[in-house]
Parts: sequence; C-alpha cells; structure tokens
Amino acid sequence: MNMRANYQVNATPQFRVLSEDQIEEIYFSALEVLERVGMRIYSEEGVALLRDAGSRVQGDRVWIPSWLVQEALTTVPSRIVIAGRDRNKRVYLEKDKIYFGTGSDCPSLVDPYTDAVRKYTFDDVYNAARISDALPHIDFHMSLGLTSGVLAQTYDRHQFLAMLKGTSKPLVITAVDREGLADQYQMACEVLGGPEEFARLPLFVVYIEPSSPLNHSVEAVEKLLYSAEKGIPMIYTPCTMCGATAPMTMAGGMVQCLAECLVGVVLSQLRRKGAAVIIGGVGSIMDMSTSILSYGAPEMVLLSAAMTDVAKWLRLPMFSTAGCSDSKVLDQQAAIESAVSVVVAALSGANLIHDVGYLESGLLGSFDMLVMSNEVIGLAKRILSGITVTPETLAVDVIERVGPGGQYLTQEHTRRHFRAETWLPTLMDRQMRRGWEASGRKTMADRVRAKVLDILEHHQPMPIPAEVEARLKAIVAEADARHAS
Amino acid sequence: MVRERIFEEMAQAVIDGLPDKARALAHDAIQAGIDPLEAIERGFKAGMDVVGDGFAKGELFIPDLMMSGEAMKAAIAALEPELMKRKQQRQVLGRVVIGTVQGDIHEIGKTLVATMLAASGFEVHDLGVDVSPQRFVDMVRQVDANVVGLSALLTTTLLNQETVILTLKEAGLRDKVKVIVGGVPASPEWAEEIGADGYAENATEAVEVVKRMVGV
Ligand code: B12
Repeated sequence: MNMRANYQVNATPQFRVLSEDQIEEIYFSALEVLERVGMRIYSEEGVALLRDAGSRVQGDRVWIPSWLVQEALTTVPSRIVIAGRDRNKRVYLEKDKIYFGTGSDCPSLVDPYTDAVRKYTFDDVYNAARISDALPHIDFHMSLGLTSGVLAQTYDRHQFLAMLKGTSKPLVITAVDREGLADQYQMACEVLGGPEEFARLPLFVVYIEPSSPLNHSVEAVEKLLYSAEKGIPMIYTPCTMCGATAPMTMAGGMVQCLAECLVGVVLSQLRRKGAAVIIGGVGSIMDMSTSILSYGAPEMVLLSAAMTDVAKWLRLPMFSTAGCSDSKVLDQQAAIESAVSVVVAALSGANLIHDVGYLESGLLGSFDMLVMSNEVIGLAKRILSGITVTPETLAVDVIERVGPGGQYLTQEHTRRHFRAETWLPTLMDRQMRRGWEASGRKTMADRVRAKVLDILEHHQPMPIPAEVEARLKAIVAEADARHAS
Repeated sequence: MVRERIFEEMAQAVIDGLPDKARALAHDAIQAGIDPLEAIERGFKAGMDVVGDGFAKGELFIPDLMMSGEAMKAAIAALEPELMKRKQQRQVLGRVVIGTVQGDIHEIGKTLVATMLAASGFEVHDLGVDVSPQRFVDMVRQVDANVVGLSALLTTTLLNQETVILTLKEAGLRDKVKVIVGGVPASPEWAEEIGADGYAENATEAVEVVKRMVGV
C-alpha cells in the first residue's frame, strides 16, 4: 500500500490578508481605544450597564476596560443559525461558511418595465424579495429598498411584511427604533407560531449601526438591549468611511470599526450572557474627488477581507460586503466591481456577505445587479471548491489510455467528472459568433433583464397562510394607528 | 518687496494646508503693520484660489481642500482682533447658516459643504446635526443670514427640510433668506416642490449655487 507522511490537503483555495500578529495588533489597538479614548453612549440605560460592570463613566462618555471586553468575548457565541419561514432554509454563521445576500434600504430602483429610476414602493420591496427567493446563490435577504409612501416611524413594519411575503429565506431586517423592532419580533413570532420557535431557530437578524466615529445612538443601544433580551441575533457594525468618519489608513479604520463593534459585544453580554452578535460592517474609503463612500473600491474589498480575518480570529460571525458598485447603471464597471468583491469576499470566508445588488454607492437597489451578481457568486463558488487531488482525479491511467495524440471526449472518465468539475453558467454567453448573432446579439444586460422579468412574472414564493397574514397586517395597522397623529 | 514675499508665503501656507504656519504668518503680518484685509486678499485667499482651481482640475483632492480651508480659518482667526482694532470688516460673500435637519445625524456631507463655503469666502455658521427648525430660525435671525443650507440623508428626514421653510415663513424671515437643500434624497424637483431657492448635488456645486444666490 502507498503511504505518505505529512500529507496536507487544501480542500479549498487558501486566502488571508493579515497574519495572526497583525490581527493581534489591531485587536489590542481596539482595546486601547475602548480603554483610553472611550465611546459616547447616548443611552442612559447603556451607560448604567457599563458603569455597573466596571467602566469609567463621565456623563455619556464611557471608557471600557480591556478585561470587560475579554470577559464578554468568552460568552458571546461563535456560531449562530437562523432559518427563513421555510425552516429548512438555514444559514450557519460559523467560521468560513459563506452566504450571500442583498443590502437594505436603498431609496430608489430602476423600474424593470419602464427603466425609470423611481422610489421603492411596498410592491417593489415585495418583488425584490421574490427575486432573492428565486436565486440559488442568494441565501439571505435584506429589503434592498426603502418602502416609500408610508409613515416614517413605521416604514420598517411595512417593509418586513413585504419581505416576509416575498421570500421564505432567512432575513436581515432594519428597525426604526426599539418599538419597531418589538413589532417585527412579534410579527416573526406570529409567522413561526410563537416565541419558543424564534428562540430555537430565529427567523431574522437585526442590523444595528453605531455612528462612527465612536458614537452609539439611543436607538442603536435600545435595539441592541432589546435584541439581547429576546434572543434576537444582531449585527452591530458601523459604516466606516476611511478619511472621513475613520482614519485614512486601512489599519486605523479597522481599529476604530472593531472598537465600535466590541461595544455591541460588551453591552449585549451585560444584558444577557450568550446574546448573539455579528461584527464587521461596511468599511471603505471616501472617494476624495467626489466625496462618495465607495462601494466598489479595492479598499472596500480589502478591508472586508481583513476584517473577516479578525472576526474569525475572535471566533465571531462576520457581516461583510460585496456584489455592489458605484456605477449608476448595470454596465462594465458594475460587473467588474461585483466580480472582484464577490470573489474576494467568498475567498475570505465571511458569513453574511451583504449589499449584493447595490448600485450608485448604495442609493439604487437594482434587480438587475442582483441577478447578475448571482451568476458571479456561482462562478466564485466554483473557484472556492478548489481542486480535488486523488488517484482518480490525477487520472494518470486515463492519460496512459489516451496516449500521445488522442482525445478525452470519448473517455468514460470525462463523462463521469464533467458535471462536478465544471461550473455551468446560466447568463454568461459562450456561443460562437454566428449563434450569438442568430440569438439576437444579446448583451449581458439584456440577458439579465430577461431573467429579472421572467422571475417577476413566474416566481411564486411559499405562501403565508391567510390567517397569519391577517394578523401580521393587524400589527402593522396598529403601529400606524399609534403613530398617525 | 518683503511684503510681496510675505504674501507669497501666506498663499503657500494655505496651499500646503498648514494652519500653524498660516497663523504664525498672520501674526508676523500684524507685527509688520500689514493691512489685514490685504493679507487676506493678496496672501491667504490667493492660496485658496490656487487650491480651488487644482480641485476643479482634478489635480487636488478633498483632504487638500479641507486642510487648506483649516489654514485659511486659522489665518482669519488670527487676523480678526487686528481687523476689530482697525474697525475694518472682512469682506465676506455672505453669511450662511447650515446644518443637518432634525432626526438625521449624517454629518460628513454637510461639513464638507460648510468647509467649502467657508473656504470660498462665506461666513459659515455650522449648527451640526439633528438641528430643530427653531434652531435654524434662531440662528438665521441672530446672524442675519443671507442663506440657509439644509442637509438630509434620509427619505424620512427629508420632509424636515420643508418644516424648516415653513418655520421660517411663520417667523416672517422667509423673504430675507435664501434656502438651499442637499443630501442624497433631495433633488431639484424636491427643492421646487417645497419652495426652496436651490439645490446642489455636491459641495463644489453648492458653492456655485450659493454664490449665485447672493449675486456674486
Ligand atoms: C456613513 C453613513 C451613515 C453613518 C453616518 C456617520 C456620520 N458621522 O455622518 C451612520 C452609520 C451613523 C448612518 C446611520 C444611518 N443611516 Co446612513 N448612510 C451612510 C452612507 C453610507 C454615507 C453617507 C455619507 O456620509 N456620504 C459621504 C458624504 C460626503 O456625502 P453626502 O452626505 O451625500 O453629501 C454630499 C451631497 O449629498 C451634498 N450635500 C449633503 N448635504 C448637503 C447640504 C446642502 C445644503 C447641499 C447644498 C448639499 C449637500 O454635498 C455633499 C458633499 O459632496 C449612506 C449611503 C450613501 N451612499 O449615501 C447611508 C444612508 C444615507 N443611510 C441610510 C440609513 C437607512 C441609515 C440609518 C437609518 C440606518 C439604520 N437603520 O440604523 C441610520 C440613521 C441614523 C440617523 N438618525 O440619521 C440610508 C438612507 C436610505 C434612505 N433613503 O432613507 C443610506 C442611503 C444607506 C442605505 N442604502 O441604506 N449612516
């Protein structure tokens, strides 16, 4: 028998940005920021919790000692599982398990029928969810659009209803405030049949943002504490814009981002040990010519991957960013920025990779971009699946059988392996010129739009029972009534 | 001759974005008995014009502009007492009150616009974020502002731009002050709908529009 010593296998490609020593430097610097610079916490409840636990406090300024962070890190879970309305559609937020999904709350969309840029309505948010529902590589869904035409204080409940109807996949929600979150939690419990089922396998994660630099709003902290109480997993991550709301240097941006995330970890554990927190966030640069926060910059790609290294080292789930672009339309730029960010985010091993479908730096939630990026994710997953090296795949026997000058098409080995070895594109064109011309000279954008329309016209999500939907609508209506005046 | 060299150095300090240097040169100028208005015009502002041009041409970037703005601010602050002593008034293009509307804490865009306006020769009063309509109105009255700038980044807070306009009307100040709106959910159409006098997509455009508003 053939025996080999010290044999190692790379089941997937290996990729990392930072060494362990570099990660440690970033972590220690974040602790230093928490301990020496401190944070501003606008919630009195939050300040009191931190004070009682041993933080130095002056008004709303809080200095959090390193030991408190370390203690919190021992009880915050390293893994979270959530499932959609369809309880079999699950995401396992554990080290290196990757999932892609949309982003939330873009003000506008491109109408797929008229090409007009207009505001998102309830129906558009519902349709966005249906598109995610239909795409095989989209594992979780965020609203993509901000529901217009409803009350500002209750838009989140309307949006959540539209999302629930449109997809049975796991969700990431946003909430106006604690009350908005409480209503959505109640809605989720209606869907699942009670809080026990939510606790067993949550239906959603709530996305909460600290306000860089080093500020934590009342709303953010209240949502965080409520989530900890109810067992709602939370993303607590900022939107750090290097050069504007965070240091210009990538490392400095990460230090600040991590420090802000760790406030969420500490506060959540003080409220309830074991509360689930996801760190990371949108880290990018301000473009110094136009002032936008870039969603296509290589720095965003790099920061996301590096932050993933940090999250994995801390054994915390990671919220990352990819599949988005600064372009205003679905063009070559959008494709480049989507492809590069998706491939790198996939390689990095981040868990919830969001903002797939964003154009115009997060202002345009595009159905086209979502569908095109789904194809990119498929391609990226093929790269991720690596190369299997066994006697069967090394195929020396087959090479011998074919010999010099033969061909492999008629080998049983080829037929046995081609499906597993190759990725089958659904939107990439690989026809020869005449075939392409005969089929209407369609560009990627044409094919993408056709698929969007096909989904909109045909895809039926798993229905919500009528009596459940009625109860959901009642919760939304009550919220509206409370805020009507 | 020496004076010319000092003006050149002043311009250069602004171009290089060095607040300490600019402040020191301002003090030197006072010592040397140079007219502070001339120091601003021929010295510091000349530097700011170079930087503005560079930015417009795409050779310079926002951090260059911001640091030059800081240098300009430092120089003017240092010259202010001397101006008072001489009973001179720095010529400003106009007085602008700016802030992010109530319920909204998006700060960066508004700050950029404020800095650019200040660097272009406006007197700017930045009220910060989450500013109530009443605070806008009070400040407009207090400084006798020519223009008020309203930033909103959320669809939900966009409406508060209109509230400020209504509050200005109630206070009887609407005819005395021009209103410019901005932020991602705002648009020229929105500006027109709520009866604002202008809209700008970014900070550079904001300077142009505000200049037009005050007739320069
Ligand atoms: C950074 C950021 C934040 C940071 C802000 C930090 C800070 N210190 O400012 C934080 C994390 C705090 C934040 C919080 C939230 N945010 Co935010 N945020 C952004 C982001 C990514 C960038 C904004 C920015 O600073 N851009 C850079 C600056 C320089 O550009 P700018 O602000 O557009 O300004 C330029 C022009 O607009 C113009 N301008 C701006 N103001 C003015 C004023 C005048 C008078 C003029 C003439 C021109 C002008 O000139 C500026 C310079 O060129 C945008 C996405 C985006 N693409 O804009 C989302 C975004 C604006 N946020 C959004 C949301 C939903 C939120 C939250 C509600 C999230 C939540 N669920 O908790 C909270 C709201 C908090 C609150 N009450 O305000 C949505 C808004 C959707 C909508 N239409 O309502 C966006 C679009 C992201 C998204 N797609 O979801 N956010």
